[in-house]
Amino acid sequence: MSNIKLSFILNRKPYTVETDPGKRMLDVLREDLGLMGTKEGCGVGECGACTVILNGKAVTSCLVLAGQMQDAEILTIEGMRDDEIGRVIQECFVEGDAVQCGFCTPGFIMSAYALLMENPTPTRDEIRHAIAGNLCRCTGYIPITNAIEKAAKTLAK
Amino acid sequence: MKIRNYIQVKTVEAFHEAAKAADGPITILAGGTDVLVNGREDDVYKDCTVIDIFPVEALHGVCETENMLLIGACTTHEAISHDPLVKQYAPILAEACGAVGSLQTRNRATIGGNLANASPAADTMSALAVLHAELVIERDGEARVEPMTAIFTKPYKTNLAQNDLITTIRVPKQSPNVRYDYVKVGRRKVLSISRMTVATLLEMDNNGVVTRFDMTVGATFPRPMLFPDISAMLVGKRPSEQDIIGVAKALSDKIPEIAGIRKSTIYKQPVCRNISERSLRKLFADILK
Ligand SMILES: Cc1cc2nc3c(=O)[nH]c(=O)nc-3n(C[C@H](O)[C@H](O)[C@H](O)COP(=O)(O)OP(=O)(O)OC[C@H]3O[C@@H](n4cnc5c(N)ncnc54)[C@H](O)[C@@H]3O)c2cc1C
Ligand code: FES
Ligand code: FES
Repeated sequence: MSNIKLSFILNRKPYTVETDPGKRMLDVLREDLGLMGTKEGCGVGECGACTVILNGKAVTSCLVLAGQMQDAEILTIEGMRDDEIGRVIQECFVEGDAVQCGFCTPGFIMSAYALLMENPTPTRDEIRHAIAGNLCRCTGYIPITNAIEKAAKTLAK
Repeated sequence: MKIRNYIQVKTVEAFHEAAKAADGPITILAGGTDVLVNGREDDVYKDCTVIDIFPVEALHGVCETENMLLIGACTTHEAISHDPLVKQYAPILAEACGAVGSLQTRNRATIGGNLANASPAADTMSALAVLHAELVIERDGEARVEPMTAIFTKPYKTNLAQNDLITTIRVPKQSPNVRYDYVKVGRRKVLSISRMTVATLLEMDNNGVVTRFDMTVGATFPRPMLFPDISAMLVGKRPSEQDIIGVAKALSDKIPEIAGIRKSTIYKQPVCRNISERSLRKLFADILK
């Protein structure tokens, strides 16, 4: 169908794009806006590589229609460097060897961010629960869980 | 995905207007977690006007009347699983919604979409069946109420017309004495489509005599089902170990009876029997002592 105008807040800045509302949000981010940080793994909601925060909630952007971005507030990995929680999570991932090939990392960081926004002092079980929708084929998850735990502790100081 | 037109509505009235104005087929879009997966194949929605109801505030959230919980059709599984009213009056539903997909899916996927999609593996169906839930369905501004189990015709098919909007799931409030158990069997701990769910709800009097009993299996039959004959096996009785074994056998015997003998029957029938026995032993632990 023909393009429509979509207005939303992305990484705390207002945006308006003209695009096909039948596209996926993932494609608007990557193709229309050139934000390549959000990855596509499975395209069917199973791997979490495309996780973004939509109106405060972690969601898979491969399963959101572009039209549904209208008036929304969206955070992607690109917005994490301007945010204390986001920055600390990223640092802890790098320092804790929670990144190997890195393909899953943006998705994990967005899930971790959503968790720490809601629950600044999660238990290890709560961390595991929050990242259960993200797959990583390199790290074995333990360094990722450790990194999120460390980020929570660092932020609490 | 290819679509013909996209309309976002903010009220139920606006939905009816958009549905009336659309020429050609319409597709209701809620959380989109089924629609976007289906839309990857064969341009299934290319002629459709997609009407996005997720922004309709009146369809989100849970409220109560004296006897009922009223759950808006666009309430997400995550919201239902944490809702204080649902946890108090229908905790089996909170548990079923909490078992859906991953957090990312639950944050988006709605209870109305779960039902309308009519997958036999939908996790809320067995819980809603034993709760005797009803649906409020609106067409062109006129509302009707149907038992939840009545809308399903076969796997992935309902008797809903394209302009029928599920607006509310009505769930009778359960007393604190009601005991329940919900078991989901899947391939992966989270994010797995159910191979089977077993949902049980029961109530006893002070003497341990069962006054109400519903038990069903999900992801196994073409549509959600209740079994009055199975309920009758325990109602009026103080159950013994023999009764439990009998109910578990009768329930698992429904599998070949209703779904026919399939490759999976050899696996599903004993699993159903074992889970049912375990569930009932847990629920009647104090009575069996
Ligand atoms: C990765 C992944 C994991 C999943 N895991 C599970 C799981 O564990 N258990 C489970 O049960 N499901 C699971 N699902 C399936 C899906 O998430 C659920 O069925 C969900 O509840 C669908 O809701 P939705 O709002 O996303 O529906 P949508 O995709 O928006 O719609 C689904 C269908 O319902 C119709 N519809 C939606 N709302 C209404 C309404 N109010 N009135 C009438 N028709 C309507 C739509 O037209 C469409 O046909 C999973 C999906 C994914 C992608
Ligand atoms: S690409 Fe979206 S979940 Fe895998
Ligand atoms: S680091 Fe390679 S998939 Fe996670």
